[in-house]
Amino acid sequence: MSMNELLARFHDVAANPSAQMKKYLAEGKKVVLTAPVYTPEEIIHSMGLVPMGAWGGDLVLDRAKEYFPAFICSIMQSILELGMKGTYDGASAIVIPSLCDSLKCLGQNWKYAVPGIPFIPMTYPQNRNNEVGKTFVKAGYRRVAADLEKATGAVFSEEALAESIKVYNKHNAVMRKLDEALASHPEVTNAQRSDVYKSAFFMTKEEHTVLAEKLLSALNETPASGKVKIVTSGILCDAPSLLESFDALGFQIVADDVAAESRQYRTDAPEKPEALDALAEKFAAMDNCSVLFDVEKKRADLIVKTAQERGAKAVVLVLTKFCDPEEFDAVPVRRACEAADLPFVLIEVDRQMADLGQARTILETLRDSLNA
Amino acid sequence: MVSFGIDIGSTTSKCILLRDGQEIIGSSLVVGGIGTDGPRKAVQQVFEAAGISPDEASVSAVTGYGRSSWKDADFQVSELTCHAMGGRFIFPELRTLIDIGGQDAKAIALDKSGMMKNFLMNDKCAAGTGRFLDVMATILQVSVNELGTLALTAQEHASISSTCTVFAESEVISQLASGADRTAVMAGICDSVATRTATLAKRVGIVEPVCISGGVARNAGVRAALEKALGVKLLYSELSQHFGALGAAVYAYRKSGAKSE
Repeated sequence: MSMNELLARFHDVAANPSAQMKKYLAEGKKVVLTAPVYTPEEIIHSMGLVPMGAWGGDLVLDRAKEYFPAFICSIMQSILELGMKGTYDGASAIVIPSLCDSLKCLGQNWKYAVPGIPFIPMTYPQNRNNEVGKTFVKAGYRRVAADLEKATGAVFSEEALAESIKVYNKHNAVMRKLDEALASHPEVTNAQRSDVYKSAFFMTKEEHTVLAEKLLSALNETPASGKVKIVTSGILCDAPSLLESFDALGFQIVADDVAAESRQYRTDAPEKPEALDALAEKFAAMDNCSVLFDVEKKRADLIVKTAQERGAKAVVLVLTKFCDPEEFDAVPVRRACEAADLPFVLIEVDRQMADLGQARTILETLRDSLNA
Repeated sequence: MVSFGIDIGSTTSKCILLRDGQEIIGSSLVVGGIGTDGPRKAVQQVFEAAGISPDEASVSAVTGYGRSSWKDADFQVSELTCHAMGGRFIFPELRTLIDIGGQDAKAIALDKSGMMKNFLMNDKCAAGTGRFLDVMATILQVSVNELGTLALTAQEHASISSTCTVFAESEVISQLASGADRTAVMAGICDSVATRTATLAKRVGIVEPVCISGGVARNAGVRAALEKALGVKLLYSELSQHFGALGAAVYAYRKSGAKSE
């Protein structure tokens, strides 16, 4: 397959998650929804179930407001909206982690708003990188596995989990390679780059790894051309009109610190005698994310370092409205960029933004100032 | 060489004609922005004012929220870039520009050479914008300009604590119902806009000279309140509302080489 054919395939999957879900259900597989930001997909995968990302969608919020107040993260609201409207019908369960206050509300609301799809909580500790934290995480994973057995009839085993961890580690490695390779391939648009990441939530990791490896090979055959290099940061950066603006204004995302993109693939599970310990170690080692407690806010420095390494001219923080963890981090990120003399802009987005006029103005101004 | 700049805003359309990038030979301002006949009328008026035909303008640029809807310009530029250029044209040493328009507010920090080094826009919200003043002036049954002038005569300043326009409207009505002095309420309204804008401006960093632009710049009450909130003298020009169009004309002139290539 050529690069364009591969990118078209990624787009088809990213743009049609419902079709993917129907396909897996038609194959007799059971689908388990995984809510943002980090869910133990490896456990779901190891039980022969298909993990399917549930990050909401760009739709008008109507019924979710029966449960949520107005000023809360639109990603959470849209997940509940899709659940209430039946878009996720057919899923055997949903795993919702406790990584922010809005996610906790989503879990509690889900039980009543979407009773047909069992809610499985994954409660993470704030202090994750010590023995108590790891024990707590492991207990949480055991509960997820037990709840999945109850909801789906599938059976959990440490041996199967060890195999799934290998599958996920391999996928992580390929995604990291792809991230690096895409930085020198501006002919891949920002919208296409987003499709590569987004599609990973809607395919089994085996399938996505194969496609990503093919894209890596295809990329090596294409020449590079110049655009203004930027690094994006935030929870989500997949709004079509925003990506279209990046592309139209001549920006190239050469790296990201986006929760739904590269943050997912930074950390591998290490080898351990017990697979659940390996998974708990993975969570303990994860860092540089607004929903993972870090008093030193090292994420800000990582963003600057990444931007410098990739030759980015600016950092664009795509802030999901009412996302408290990201709002807290925005200040240290801005300060770190300013200290490094790296232009920084903040764009507020939500799932219901049909008009990104203000975002476009900010991006145009950034481009003008970088080109001046 | 004549360059032409047009700024299509949310409530008004402004035009400037510039000779050789130095001399303003015509300006116009028409009430009516995006989606109205305002831009066309503003164009017609500016050429009439300058006494030249549209063919004599050899290069043009459009800015403002309606810029993407105007297809006749050679260049399309963001309003932040244009306001910075327009402000620097009038005040050559300018380091900070605060623009308060009909639907948003912006703060721009410039370095010594006039290059934009930082900028911020307010959230899409009527509070702290011209729209807020429009709503309040309607309640008080005065024009926006009168509201500003009368606010300067206030002996006391009422406190408008709500940051939301809708809630502030209720608050103003309650204050009037309680017998508060009208000029005190007007001063409180100006303070409310100034406080919100000052917060934005302080986030980009205030370096003098500081100027104010946009339609709200014409409001003397807001200017006085903003000077107090920022603790600096604000530069003001009668052309403040035209800075976007002026910057567009300057931009078009500077880019005219690119067009002719």
